[in-house]
Amino acid sequence: MVHISWFWYSKAFFTFVLLILLALPLSRCAYAQDRSDQENISSGLEKKGDKAEIDPYEGFNRSMFSFNDHLDDYVAKPISDAYLWVTPGFLKHGITNFFSNLKDINVVLNDHMQGKFQQGAEDTGRFLTNSTIGFFGLIDVATDLGLKKHEEDFGQTLAVWGVPQGPYLVLPILGPTTTRGLPGSVFDVAANPSSYVGIVPVQVVSMLNTRANADGALKFIDEAAIDPYVFTREAFLQYQQHLITDGKVNASVDVLPLEDEVFGDTDSVMDKKADKKIISDNVVAEKKSLEIMNNNPQAENVDNQLEKAIADLDNGKQSSSLAQVSDKPERFSKKYAKKGRKARLSETESAVR
Amino acid sequence: MLRKIFLSFVVLLCLSASSISLADELSARQVVDEFQNELLAVMKEGKALGFKGRYEKLDVAVRKSHDLPKIARIVVGKQWEELSAEQQATLEKVFSQLSISAYAYNFKDFSGESFAFISEEETGRGGVVMHTNLHIPGEKDVKFDYMMKKKDDGWRIINIIADGVSDLALKRSEYTSVLSKEGFDALIEKITTKINNYATQ
Repeated sequence: MVHISWFWYSKAFFTFVLLILLALPLSRCAYAQDRSDQENISSGLEKKGDKAEIDPYEGFNRSMFSFNDHLDDYVAKPISDAYLWVTPGFLKHGITNFFSNLKDINVVLNDHMQGKFQQGAEDTGRFLTNSTIGFFGLIDVATDLGLKKHEEDFGQTLAVWGVPQGPYLVLPILGPTTTRGLPGSVFDVAANPSSYVGIVPVQVVSMLNTRANADGALKFIDEAAIDPYVFTREAFLQYQQHLITDGKVNASVDVLPLEDEVFGDTDSVMDKKADKKIISDNVVAEKKSLEIMNNNPQAENVDNQLEKAIADLDNGKQSSSLAQVSDKPERFSKKYAKKGRKARLSETESAVR
Repeated sequence: MLRKIFLSFVVLLCLSASSISLADELSARQVVDEFQNELLAVMKEGKALGFKGRYEKLDVAVRKSHDLPKIARIVVGKQWEELSAEQQATLEKVFSQLSISAYAYNFKDFSGESFAFISEEETGRGGVVMHTNLHIPGEKDVKFDYMMKKKDDGWRIINIIADGVSDLALKRSEYTSVLSKEGFDALIEKITTKINNYATQ
């Protein structure tokens, strides 16, 4: 199965010197861009603007995209195919693990810079485990021990700090990025020990391995995409957003505007649904606060009732009496703050019905 | 007395009627469960079935669980209104074929995959999102979030979000881009090419 993170593997070979050379002037212009964008976007977790804002350099980007594509077809893919052919599966796996383990250092750094100290401690444990028991990272023992791999990088950290995404860019050789991602990658490269290994074969193996791992994803794009450029851009930007929010953002938010645009839900329907949401939110909140009383057998009983009430809400049973209860949520969250919850909650339940 | 008997009879009738209609209509979770099970079943006998066999089985499963006509409308955005009725019908037809072909092509064999239900979330506009995980042995779990909307005859999937990447948003960007740059005929031609590639590769 193909993993999404390989979709935008930069389609060719690159050197770190080139990266830094390219990044310096561009990050300066990125800064200027970001400043001009700041009025529209208040935080790093930005809303989707219109297409022109996201991809103002589409013409340039498209030509770079097709340049990279050709470079991949004629140079990178043939070499990568040869690498895949001569390298046994277990070795390829080990090599992937080895480089992935080195990247964990950067993950730990970024965990801390984003204030995720718990995760930082876990990832430190992960790195230490794999570097010792895992034979210098060749075997990913930590995942089997329950320490899952996290994906953090400096681009995400910048987003958490409130740096706006900036325009989408496709760079020759380096592939997709954003003006925020660019200084991010410079940091990531600097924080990766393999960047400082002067031995050319190590760099080459690292690149081959990256290309080889991306093979399935690139094939998937070829097969699925009607417009590979747009496909890559959307997948890249959406996945970045997913990483930044650690997948916690309401997955549906993104679709609702699409739907409204086409179907334009009527106001009355929307109001009703909004009311329903408020009530259900309150019931959920109430349930959470009751979880604290877990030791109390009565609480469990109430919990069940709430579950039932929520189920009823989901089934839309209460729709006729919605207007009646729409003013109640605030009242009942205060009212039931202390004891005697059981009786009152069943009252709520019937009111909701 | 007679009145009482009559009343209890009416109540009984109502109860049985309501329980029948409840049993008939699957919950959003059941729709997703059923679809995932059917998908896994097709994967398990994927090699024996071949592309055509998988397509035929999934044709039923996908149409039953997905609201394909609605998805086809959303992916072209506002430009749907500008299409003629005939074009709309063509788009809906080839789009459905493409969606089913993509399933038949990408889920061709079985290597221990399984789906796990995580949670259900209301979207606040009459929709729900079912959060599930696809577990692939030896790989990181992939988050599959199904966005569901209720149709007259039950819940239907209208979007799948895999690890935060929304299929609907992705397709919509692609389709609107092709439509505005190259036009309707080019779009249909591209879709048809994809369908043929899936069938023959």
